[in-house]
Amino acid sequence: MTLGAGIGYVLLALGPSLALFVTLISTKPFLILILLSSTLVWLISLIVLSGFWKVFLPIKTTALWPYAILILTSVVFQEGLRLILWRGYKKMEDMLDAFADRVAKPRLYLTDKMQIALAGGLGHGVAHAVFFCLGLLTPSFGPATFYVDKCSYAPFFLISAIISLAFVTIHTFSMVIAFNGYAQGNKTDQLIVPAVHLIAGMLTLVNLASSGCVVGIPLLYVVALSTLAYCGKMVWRRLTETQIRLTPQNQ
Amino acid sequence: MDGSILESIGVEIIGVMSPVSICMLLVVLLVYSLSSFSSPSVEPIRTAANLVYLETPSDSTSQKIEGSLLNALVFVILIAVVTFLLVILYYYNFTNFLKNYMRFSAFFVLGVMGGSIFLSIIRQFSIPIDAITCFILLLNFTVVGVLSVFAEGIPIPIVLRQVYMVLLGIIVAAWFTNLPEWTTWTLLVALAVYDLVAVLAPGGPLKILVELASSRDDDLPALVYEARPTVSRNGRRSSLGLLVGGVSSDSVEVEMARRDGNGSGEMMDEETSPLVPSLRDRMGVNLSSSSGSEFSVSVDAAERFQETEIVEGREERRPLSAMLGMGNEMEPELSSGDVREEMTRGIKLGLGDFVFYSVLVGRAAMYDLMTVYACYLAIISGLGCTLILLSVFRQALPALPISIALGIMFYFLTRVLMEPFVVGTSTNLMMF
Repeated sequence: MTLGAGIGYVLLALGPSLALFVTLISTKPFLILILLSSTLVWLISLIVLSGFWKVFLPIKTTALWPYAILILTSVVFQEGLRLILWRGYKKMEDMLDAFADRVAKPRLYLTDKMQIALAGGLGHGVAHAVFFCLGLLTPSFGPATFYVDKCSYAPFFLISAIISLAFVTIHTFSMVIAFNGYAQGNKTDQLIVPAVHLIAGMLTLVNLASSGCVVGIPLLYVVALSTLAYCGKMVWRRLTETQIRLTPQNQ
Repeated sequence: MDGSILESIGVEIIGVMSPVSICMLLVVLLVYSLSSFSSPSVEPIRTAANLVYLETPSDSTSQKIEGSLLNALVFVILIAVVTFLLVILYYYNFTNFLKNYMRFSAFFVLGVMGGSIFLSIIRQFSIPIDAITCFILLLNFTVVGVLSVFAEGIPIPIVLRQVYMVLLGIIVAAWFTNLPEWTTWTLLVALAVYDLVAVLAPGGPLKILVELASSRDDDLPALVYEARPTVSRNGRRSSLGLLVGGVSSDSVEVEMARRDGNGSGEMMDEETSPLVPSLRDRMGVNLSSSSGSEFSVSVDAAERFQETEIVEGREERRPLSAMLGMGNEMEPELSSGDVREEMTRGIKLGLGDFVFYSVLVGRAAMYDLMTVYACYLAIISGLGCTLILLSVFRQALPALPISIALGIMFYFLTRVLMEPFVVGTSTNLMMF
């Protein structure tokens, strides 16, 4: 029974990512490599952050501001990392194009680029879910469960799985938005990503209040869904645009 | 969307990584399911890996360090001796002896060590099975295993062979996770160093072995020759799967033949053999016949990369170095001539690497899931680095050092730094 519950938590947090992985990523080895390396990058960022915060933890006060600073530094650091990732991706794209020319294959399609961004985002998302949710799941396979005082409506594992799902969504699709924004020099897209990330992080601070999760988690889902919607709209716009532009040339 | 180059790049890397991942995953599951309920007072096993010093939790730290260092030293020396012995035997063409020795040891590993693992699984999950049935099943399993690993002239599906390779790795690795903690860590470090020396230093046993093999035009040492599948020859659509990965034959001219962990006294010895064969990759397809032409390799479905169409060897060979952005331009078409002959090999990864990667991950699994993920990522990225280096240097490279170093580093970083941080934030339901 508890085994079933544990597997359920895992699937709740990672089910959509798993579906994305199986249908889209796993058929293209290169995307798997991208996914793995972006997961690794996220892990490294987490280790660096925890090394930095090790000095100050555990926070004794009940005041909110140290936590807010923690979230702020983390988000800033990870968004900085995204810029570096973008640089790396840019170089890699040139190499891939050169390589494609050499072997007389078509260059990267727009959808290819988006898939690379998606794989990178999925790597971040999966890393998030793995380290914030799955990493703590070990006890949930055992014969008991765990409730936190401040949110005692559901087991801790269930809540963290639900929160992780929201973050997986945000991380995955904000990478697509960000890469498109960088590629097109679109300021709105570039700025909306850190903003979303920061808002989502700050929303989890609501959970610190007693019973705060009743409010915090739905709000988090609003953010996640709007990220998803925004990304969908943007991709649709790009695809239709290029379709129109490219069709005459391709013939 | 066909023709997108995304599909053809990195096939061979994934082809190596996926069996390693499967092996690690299964070892972790095994460690979890067997260790969770078993009594803590299990008698520590006595193997070649802890001949000198038997660690007990009550010992002081310095005692543990000293003892585990001695253990590692003895173990590495043993391995080195056994490897030299094998090299000498190979040098003097004792191929029949080597062949039968390998068969015996594969039989031993599958039958005895595998058998004891099956027994503990049966006990753990209280599977109702009677002794006779169990014995017959085990015998069948073992015999099929030995045949499929060292088949000659018997057409055995390549998938079966790969499955057994991974199984051998799992069994040996699961055995090694019984070692005490300190000994495991020092052992891994020592092996990584040994690996580095044995493959790269002039006069290193593995280097000699590889050179000897290539000078004789064997696939790899005699050991290899034996283990080489006949199956893949008939037909270019060898469904090379696991070990060798997608593109196979041509894709990688460089071979990464390595076997380590050759032997550790009682049980390790046996392992030797498996190690060796594993590497040999089965796709010694005669490319010459199909050289420039198009051929398609179908990767086995289990792997779920279906049908990868590969057009011409050159292409796939490139990706690795292309990713580096180096190499390609510099060695322009030399490839077509020179490399072709060498192209008959795929990437080979020693079973020893499988084993010790899995040992590391299995050891990490005894602490926490988080360390498992961190170690897995570190090892896989180390493997990726090694493969990239491989495409640059084009000679046999040791696969353990980078991965093990990264793995151990990430293990302790995760354990010391990350875990308290992540547990602290996420039990407060704070995430970012």
